[in-house]
Amino acid sequence: MIPELGNFALYIAFAFSILLSIFPAIGLKQNNTRLMAMAPNLTIGLFVFTLFSFACLAYAFLTDDFTVVNVAQNSNSLLPIHYKFAASFGSHEGSFLLWLLMQSGWSFAVAIFSKGLPVDMRTRVLTVLGWISVGFYAYIIISSNPFERTLPYFPIDGRDLNPLLQDIGMIIHPPLLYMGYVGLSIAFAFAIAALLSGNLDSTWAKWSRPWTAAAWAFLTLGLTIGSWWAYSELGWGGWWFWDPVENAAFMPWLVATALLHSLAVSEKRNAFKSWTVFLAIAAFSLSLLGTFLVRSGVIVSVHAFATDPERGVFILVLLTLVIGGSLLLYSLKAGNIKSFGKFSVFSRESMLWSNNVLLVAATMVVLMGTLLPLVHKQIGLGTISIGEPFFNQMFTYLIVPFALLLGIAPLVRWKQDKLNNFIAKPLVVIAISLTLSLTWLFAEFDEIKPLALLGATLFIWIMLFTALELKQTLNKVSFSKLPLSHFSMVLGHIGIAFILAGVGLTSQYSVERDVKMNIGDSAELKGYEFTFEQINNIKGPNYEGWAAEIYITKQNKFVAELHAEKRFYPVQRNTMTEAAIDAGFFRDIYISLGERLPDGAWALRIYVKPYIRWIWLGGIIVALGGFLTLFDRRYRNKKALAKG
Amino acid sequence: MTTKKFNFRLVPLILFVLLLAVLLKGLFSDPRERDSALIGKAFPQFQLPDLYDDSKQHTEKTLLNEAVLINVWGTWCITCKYELPYLAKLANEYDVKIVGLYYDQNYAPEFGQFADIPAIRVEVKDMLARLGNPYQYNILDLDRSLSLNLGVTGAPETFLVDANGIIRMHHMGDVNERIWREKLAPIWNEINQ
Repeated sequence: MIPELGNFALYIAFAFSILLSIFPAIGLKQNNTRLMAMAPNLTIGLFVFTLFSFACLAYAFLTDDFTVVNVAQNSNSLLPIHYKFAASFGSHEGSFLLWLLMQSGWSFAVAIFSKGLPVDMRTRVLTVLGWISVGFYAYIIISSNPFERTLPYFPIDGRDLNPLLQDIGMIIHPPLLYMGYVGLSIAFAFAIAALLSGNLDSTWAKWSRPWTAAAWAFLTLGLTIGSWWAYSELGWGGWWFWDPVENAAFMPWLVATALLHSLAVSEKRNAFKSWTVFLAIAAFSLSLLGTFLVRSGVIVSVHAFATDPERGVFILVLLTLVIGGSLLLYSLKAGNIKSFGKFSVFSRESMLWSNNVLLVAATMVVLMGTLLPLVHKQIGLGTISIGEPFFNQMFTYLIVPFALLLGIAPLVRWKQDKLNNFIAKPLVVIAISLTLSLTWLFAEFDEIKPLALLGATLFIWIMLFTALELKQTLNKVSFSKLPLSHFSMVLGHIGIAFILAGVGLTSQYSVERDVKMNIGDSAELKGYEFTFEQINNIKGPNYEGWAAEIYITKQNKFVAELHAEKRFYPVQRNTMTEAAIDAGFFRDIYISLGERLPDGAWALRIYVKPYIRWIWLGGIIVALGGFLTLFDRRYRNKKALAKG
Repeated sequence: MTTKKFNFRLVPLILFVLLLAVLLKGLFSDPRERDSALIGKAFPQFQLPDLYDDSKQHTEKTLLNEAVLINVWGTWCITCKYELPYLAKLANEYDVKIVGLYYDQNYAPEFGQFADIPAIRVEVKDMLARLGNPYQYNILDLDRSLSLNLGVTGAPETFLVDANGIIRMHHMGDVNERIWREKLAPIWNEINQ
């Protein structure tokens, strides 16, 4: 009964999306305000019915309704309750319904919070969102309905959720990423609406900025938590794998970062406008491309869902319509966009332009690295794989100019500045940064590694310049008068600095050791003494396995006691390594339990990873910066918005 | 005279169209086709003992000359219990030859858990006596090597293999009347005509 209601609600939501895509558009054409006024109400209906539908699916999972195919295949009566909930979006169908919930949720937010916009603009934006929705709802109803029944012959128990996904990171990381992905559709809708109306003044940039910042902040948080999930759950101590699906989420982030900066120029200086529109289209297009890659089975990845070419074809058609259509519109209409703001070769504008060039270059690198193996195979040259070394090397080249500019740019004036002012200061700062980082690394690690030195130096460089800029600005404007978006920038930049330091140090100074231990044995790594205390048989709700108890000391002082587990999930016949981690601001100790050897001893892998937390700390700081923008008075004040 | 300048804004669109072509092609040459990759292929080679009799060995050749359903199962598998009576009906009423591929989920030597074969035999006989016995014989896949080669991800799963030892269909989950009618029977009837 409940699944039928959910299914029915989904159909109603689909009907709402069709209405939303048609009537307000007619209203715009005929200048009929009554038809235009339907848009917000239809959007609210769309959201409410989708929410209800999602609630029905979650209910089916929570109550073990194995008459629903999706539940039978992805849940199990023994699964703990929070994972039953997570399982409702762990499958292809369920996650797509979650996607729709968010899509309609964002549209709902636009309908509610954009009352300050001119009616025609608001209608146009909602109509564009309606068009996108029609495609997505049609897709889920036709080829991925999560409410399909197993009746009349239903299994007595389900096939269980993939153990990899049975983790707290799994409950929060996909929804955050989807919030980001889907949120970019708002910036996209604003850009398309502006192109359609031909009215691309700087107000457009002002309207879409907070929405872009919000989506981008969610994406940042999603990536950060995804990275942390991989680290804590996949059991081999890595935090970024350049997996095609990670890349698929990383590309929209890179482009959205470029978009945020380019929007600032469009808004404040009336320049880069056509380019900004392009970035808005590109950011959402890359989100869709990512969806295609994950769900079509074209690539192999830990993230990929079960494959089904029919679904792939459907998404490909959607891609063609949305991306192809918007790029066509762009090529036809963007020629009319005139940017009036003039700027010289050395100015804030040119700095932000370099930022955009570097970010787009980085996106191209990731795109190439992700798709080249596919292209290579399709044109008959056989299988190649492009792995970490390629990406790491390319990103090392790109990050140096990026980080150096990131430090200076906020100090450079709009329109024009004197290059002479920027010779002495950077030289002094780089000298200080180098000295400090050399001291730091030498004191802590006794050994200088070039890439670690690079990370540490860039970290200090960005921190010093950010402090300088803040001081300079506060000389002119009092602290309380400084707009919040300025702090967003500061946080964003500091966060990047932490990520750079974290990546540089942890990649260079992490150590690992494979040991074979019997109960009572000890091993040493980086000054830590690891003692294998005991091993216990454990039994969880839907798994059983072994837990090793390891006692860690440093110079005879207690550091931590860790339990590394190896679990066996009978229903899925899957073995999982649950790493044990002692987390710290300056270092992590990470232990994963390997096999039991024939002589009864156990294989263990021990890692000490300095500064790895800085990567996620940085990510969280960056995301905070993004969210802070939303509270900036300039974007919250309706009058200011309307006036532009 | 106007010379038309190339519209550089078309570049992204052109690149996108090229990308589409690649993606479309990629879609139909799935790199990880799991199920369908097995269909049409020969049943993997194996040599495994009979569940009841260690001295008796089965190989892929024992399966030849007659169409057969290979049913992957275990006494620990709840869904299998619900599947057994229907399979027994297929075997008894429709003369479908069914061979069991038995594996023990608790067997995990790396965890120091070994299988108690005599106990398993008692359990299996007891269960088949209660729920019906569809199997001509059972193959014991203790280290799951054959299951692995078959890409089995859980129990129950069923493979339809023709008289030439070619896998014709693979079903994950229980076989019930609907599945038999819609998915397996058409092929079964075609083979046995």
